Amino acid sequence: MVWVRYVGGRLLALVLTVLVGSVVVFLVMKAAPGDPAVAALGESARPELVAAFRAKHNLDVPWALQYGRWLSGIARGDFGLSLTVASDRPIAGLIAARLPNTIFIGVMALLIAVILSLIAGTIAALRRGKLADTIATSLAAFGISMPDFWLSYVLILVFALGLGLFPAYGFIAPAQSFTGALYSGFLPALAVSAPLAAVFARTLRTSLLEAGNKDYVVAARSFGFHPAYVFVHWIFRNALIPYITIIGLQIRYILGGVVVIERIFGISGVGSLMVDGAFARDYPVVQACAVVFLVIVLSVNLVVDVVCSLLDPKRAR
Amino acid sequence: MSNGGLRRRDFLGSSAATIAATQLPFSYGAWAQGASTLRAGITGYNVINTLDPGKATLIPEFYVIWALYNGLMRLDANSNPTPDLAESVKADGNTLEFKLRTGVKFHDGSEMTSDDVKFTLERLLDDKFASPNKSKVSGLSAIEVPDASTVRLVTKEAFAPLLTFLANARTGTQVLSRKAVSAAGDDFGKKPVGTGAYSLKDWVPGERVSLAAFSGYFGGAPKIATIDMPLIAEESSGVTALLGGQIDLTSTAPFADIPNLEKNASITVLKQAGLNCRFVSLNHRKAPFDDPAFRRACSMAFDRNALVRAVLFGEGVTAHGLIPPSIGYAYGGNNRPLCTYDPAKAKAELAKSKYPNGAEAEILTWGQSWWKRMAEVFVAQCNQTLGTKFTVQVTEANTVFQRHKSGDYQGSIWGWLGLLDADEYLYDIIHSKGWRNFYGYSNPKVDDLLERARRELDQGKRGALYKEAENTMIEDMPVVPLFVSNVHNLMTKKVQGFKQLPYSNWGDQFANMSLS
Repeated sequence: MVWVRYVGGRLLALVLTVLVGSVVVFLVMKAAPGDPAVAALGESARPELVAAFRAKHNLDVPWALQYGRWLSGIARGDFGLSLTVASDRPIAGLIAARLPNTIFIGVMALLIAVILSLIAGTIAALRRGKLADTIATSLAAFGISMPDFWLSYVLILVFALGLGLFPAYGFIAPAQSFTGALYSGFLPALAVSAPLAAVFARTLRTSLLEAGNKDYVVAARSFGFHPAYVFVHWIFRNALIPYITIIGLQIRYILGGVVVIERIFGISGVGSLMVDGAFARDYPVVQACAVVFLVIVLSVNLVVDVVCSLLDPKRAR
Repeated sequence: MSNGGLRRRDFLGSSAATIAATQLPFSYGAWAQGASTLRAGITGYNVINTLDPGKATLIPEFYVIWALYNGLMRLDANSNPTPDLAESVKADGNTLEFKLRTGVKFHDGSEMTSDDVKFTLERLLDDKFASPNKSKVSGLSAIEVPDASTVRLVTKEAFAPLLTFLANARTGTQVLSRKAVSAAGDDFGKKPVGTGAYSLKDWVPGERVSLAAFSGYFGGAPKIATIDMPLIAEESSGVTALLGGQIDLTSTAPFADIPNLEKNASITVLKQAGLNCRFVSLNHRKAPFDDPAFRRACSMAFDRNALVRAVLFGEGVTAHGLIPPSIGYAYGGNNRPLCTYDPAKAKAELAKSKYPNGAEAEILTWGQSWWKRMAEVFVAQCNQTLGTKFTVQVTEANTVFQRHKSGDYQGSIWGWLGLLDADEYLYDIIHSKGWRNFYGYSNPKVDDLLERARRELDQGKRGALYKEAENTMIEDMPVVPLFVSNVHNLMTKKVQGFKQLPYSNWGDQFANMSLS
């Protein structure tokens, strides 16, 4: 019962947050400068064409009504028609075609970041103050302070243009070829993952060190348990909670990184769609992408909270 | 190390080769199908909304349209219209008579006739169709088709630019099939049918367009079977894709990278001054730009060469008029004293003006780099030379355009791109009735020369009239010309037969190309 109430409550909160978020997204796009009709029809458009365009795209009614129609459309999976990015094509179709690519790169980046940080964070904690720790923490500081677009170009220069190991541009959709997607997605995923891996590793190192000083760990050691057994059962498990929480919080940075990286590597994803939409004043496209991102971030946070409460049952109460 | 040993470098090298060998043919399917696919990256743009010439406005839309269709005419390297679907043209007063090529087939197999030409032009003129390209043909008063291979276009008075407007460039007058358009209805922009060397194979919005060779093309079947055009939004990504071997040709290149790319022996850089003009637009209805002497002083107060270096990284030529060098028949050169940096003469002009002690003015611009830097260099040098107090105001391009239209500005960076005929550069921009004349410039002598040029069907005499008009206009300095920027294409050494034209052409070359 506790679980049902907990998860149910969180789901309700998620829906409410998406609703509030959608209003904010809608209003921000309405406040942005530039006229979508002018963007779509060109500067020399005649007034009657502009009027017809506004009528067709629901732009000629009060904004509250525009919002209502938009929201009820979304509830039916209809995000409306694109204005200027792919004119007259359903936005839901554009997003459906692109979302798998974005999710693929995001998940791949997350996995790379988790693997790198588990190794680096653990080594740094176990070898605290030694050379390995210094190297790992310095790399982490570097990773945090490095802009991802810069890293992308360095990776392209070294691994694609220099060594010729990976393509410099282009991405194969996972639906077309899964291995092809892994191969062509590696550099972009690595570029997105670097700052995350750095943050994750530092968090893991700190929480491992903290957990290692807890009384119950000292007690376990004094019972004569093997150090590796103590590490896995008492130190590592307890250190995982802040680590996983941080992963949940950082998901939004993955999406932020994906927006930039998709353009550099030519990945046809939701991030690049959103950028294109913003440049071309395609409000419905930007709104739809923002809502999709919002839902993804909130869902991941929900999953993270559920996982954390499984690890630490106190949290569910 | 012994011969039998495997070194780490060898391993990395061979595993990379293995990956390349095993992955690429499958995963890069459309990207690398051997010599029969040209991977022609459309760079700097990724939005294509329609492939219907009558509706198209964006450059990348025309990139594709140029491969799918033909016009009655096409443009040569000097921007002179030459016959394409037409076999010959005869001009007689206000009538142009075109003899069409016979045996030209549309992609759907039907034959192109004069009726299709008539249909195409009437569709553009139809108010209900609301074509953004209507103005190109709005001077037509009658379209006559005496037989299947003859078209007669009648204008109210002789109108020389019409031939340019019927070329396969950014005109929208590409010839369509009446039958195919009627069959497709509103979907024609997604299912284009033309007479071009290539037909549409596949189109993923925002991602790529691919074309298939049309075996029935009147110029002979193209050598390259498939054209794959990834839409690459970032120009710099286009460069890395070319260097990394993912594409063979780009449609543009970042100006700042050109000097380095030219040193790279594995690629070819094509460049020439494009069809564009950039200037400072000055509002003659407001102080201080209401005084010609003050405008002339500004024009001589800054160094256009420095501007080309600072803004274009040297990738352009200084402009001393509005007509760019690639419109060979009308280009007046760039050695006019009034457009040459000369602080002493500039100060002398200033002393003669209504504002001998300089003046304040706000120069509008927009964007991050290029347009903003143009304004900054111009303003800084004017202030230094003349002691004026000009300031730069950065806003948004649409706002600048709206303020031009309403006359609510003093000075502004401005420019036009994609204009094809000398008439568009002069009549539209400085004739007292020109629709792009926002600054209120009016000189009856210039007006008269431009009106005569419109009626002059001899290209040589017409060019002379434009040169005279420009020489007259520059004395009034209605706008301050800045520069003409280059157009660029990058290609690998295996690409053969691409000929760059000043209007930044693209798909029209695929028919002549091959891969070695």
